Amino acid sequence: MEIIKESKFDSFNSRKSVGIVETKYFYFGEPPDEMLLESGSKLGPVTIAYETYGTLNNCRSNAILIFHALSGDAHAAGFNSESDKKPGWWDGMVGPGKPFDTLKYYVICANIIGGCKGSTGPASINSATGKPYGLDFPLISIKDIITAQKKLIEYLGINTLLCVVGGSMGGMQALQWIVSYPEISKGAMLIATAPSHSAQEIAFNSISRYAITTDPNWNCGDYYNGSRPEIGLSIARMIGHVTYISEGAIHKKFGRSIKDDPGIKDGRSIKDDPGIKDDPEKKFGRDIAAFRSKDDENRNIKCPGPADFTNEFEVGSYLKYQGEAFIKRFDANSYLYITKAIDDFDVSSGYSNLADALSKVKAKCFVISFSTDWLYPAEQSLKIVKALKINGIETTYTNFDSPFGHDAFLIEDERLKKIFTGFLKSLEE
Amino acid sequence: MRKFEVLNEWVDINSRVLVLGCGNGDILKELKKQKDIRASGLDLDENKVYEAISEGLPVIQGDINRDLQDWPKKSFDFIIAHDIVQIMTRPDETIKQMVELGGKVIISFPNFAYFMIRFGMLFSGRMPKSKTLPYEWYNTPNIHLFTIKDFKEFCRDEKITIHKEAYTGAGKRKTSKKIIPNFFAEFAYFLIS
Repeated sequence: MEIIKESKFDSFNSRKSVGIVETKYFYFGEPPDEMLLESGSKLGPVTIAYETYGTLNNCRSNAILIFHALSGDAHAAGFNSESDKKPGWWDGMVGPGKPFDTLKYYVICANIIGGCKGSTGPASINSATGKPYGLDFPLISIKDIITAQKKLIEYLGINTLLCVVGGSMGGMQALQWIVSYPEISKGAMLIATAPSHSAQEIAFNSISRYAITTDPNWNCGDYYNGSRPEIGLSIARMIGHVTYISEGAIHKKFGRSIKDDPGIKDGRSIKDDPGIKDDPEKKFGRDIAAFRSKDDENRNIKCPGPADFTNEFEVGSYLKYQGEAFIKRFDANSYLYITKAIDDFDVSSGYSNLADALSKVKAKCFVISFSTDWLYPAEQSLKIVKALKINGIETTYTNFDSPFGHDAFLIEDERLKKIFTGFLKSLEE
Repeated sequence: MRKFEVLNEWVDINSRVLVLGCGNGDILKELKKQKDIRASGLDLDENKVYEAISEGLPVIQGDINRDLQDWPKKSFDFIIAHDIVQIMTRPDETIKQMVELGGKVIISFPNFAYFMIRFGMLFSGRMPKSKTLPYEWYNTPNIHLFTIKDFKEFCRDEKITIHKEAYTGAGKRKTSKKIIPNFFAEFAYFLIS
């Protein structure tokens, strides 16, 4: 997941890294024992891609299940091979001596069903037809997504988890887990999440889905043999990406800069400074420089006109780059199914209200929102905190001070690590 | 006097305790150690909250003037407001909320009628500064200072029962009943419901 702040990470042979990890696969739901989904449809056979870090202890009491967010995957930490450019999406938090300390805990992360990173999803082959599911893939809900992971932990021989953890959509999974399976986890960390989406949150996802389904290549989800709906998916990603960054952070990074302007120093542009103007890497940063040179060759829509409407601003160019990088690793149909599951999610569904829904929760809960997160603002977390208070559930809450917006939980912060560590330690009591 | 000695004495073993304005959780930590309480804390200061959470304490970042109301009655056996009532926006409303939540309430506060404060004002003509009131007049968070007599009258008016009282002065616990607390006590503790 690309983020505004460039972070350093521990290399695969560092003592602070989990090192080289293998993605494993769990199979279940072979017909006639298909998985029954909340909608009444069936799904099977099912593959779940997952990774584990650390070792399960003798009493099987140290397992932590991490749920990934919308565009995440099972690869939460470490490297799948020595040539990987970057480690897993939460490598800063998962590893030896890190908050999810793999010297103490057995950490599990799985790719959700409906995803496209190894688990069964719309891009997977439908065994009934021999072709990818496409829109034949059944609708999945957050409840279905956690049911599949419950089967995984049972397969791994785990009856009780020490903690379930997730940010954003991962937080929704954790919240649903402690409601659906109150006996199974001692603790829950609900990070930058919501008990259900507000209209604003649904609005952004709706626009993203519209971009995909109106892409000329989408073809009702049947595109695997031909051109993919790349423009639609990259626009969806651009929209998502803007909502994950705080207003302050994005303005600090790009301001109102025009493309090809590497920045302002002492009130004037430095693009013609010696040592800068002839070095694309210095001018634009390594990844963007490489993208730009290809971009200028291949992709620019060159129309006669008074301005380059698509590429003029630095921030627009950056988002375009984010979109282009995303389409290489994500499936458009998955994006539709997963955002729909997120928008459909309401943990209080079937109950009279949220407090009623949480009345059987036994887990100790750690709820956290980020001060500059405008996508999942504090109000969303406070709804959860209030419902937990009403039920007398042991609750920890902070509206964590961070400039990085919704994606803050992915960004290294020593204070954040300390409070995560402190909470996890309290679960061991 | 050992730190938080009075609180330790009055709180029952294994009880559910909420500390308002718990800061970095020092009271909760001590009570956990001594009385194995089921702790909860509420504080506005994010840095203090991070400290408390880093110690594994279940603290909620929030406003003591506003956030008490979500908890239903009988949520706690003890609610403690230690050295904090004087910063509340409406101490009357918040103390009543605490009492209405059920269980026992411990209010502890610096007594503004302490003789050193009286003499200080009388002779220096300046707003008092002491170990319990260390701030300057222009930056103090203490907006509702009061005396032991004020508090007792408040309890009478609000039909609040005082179960226990304890006083300290010059760092020592005053145990004699004859000490005229409103004059000699620097700090007061009340167990009420």
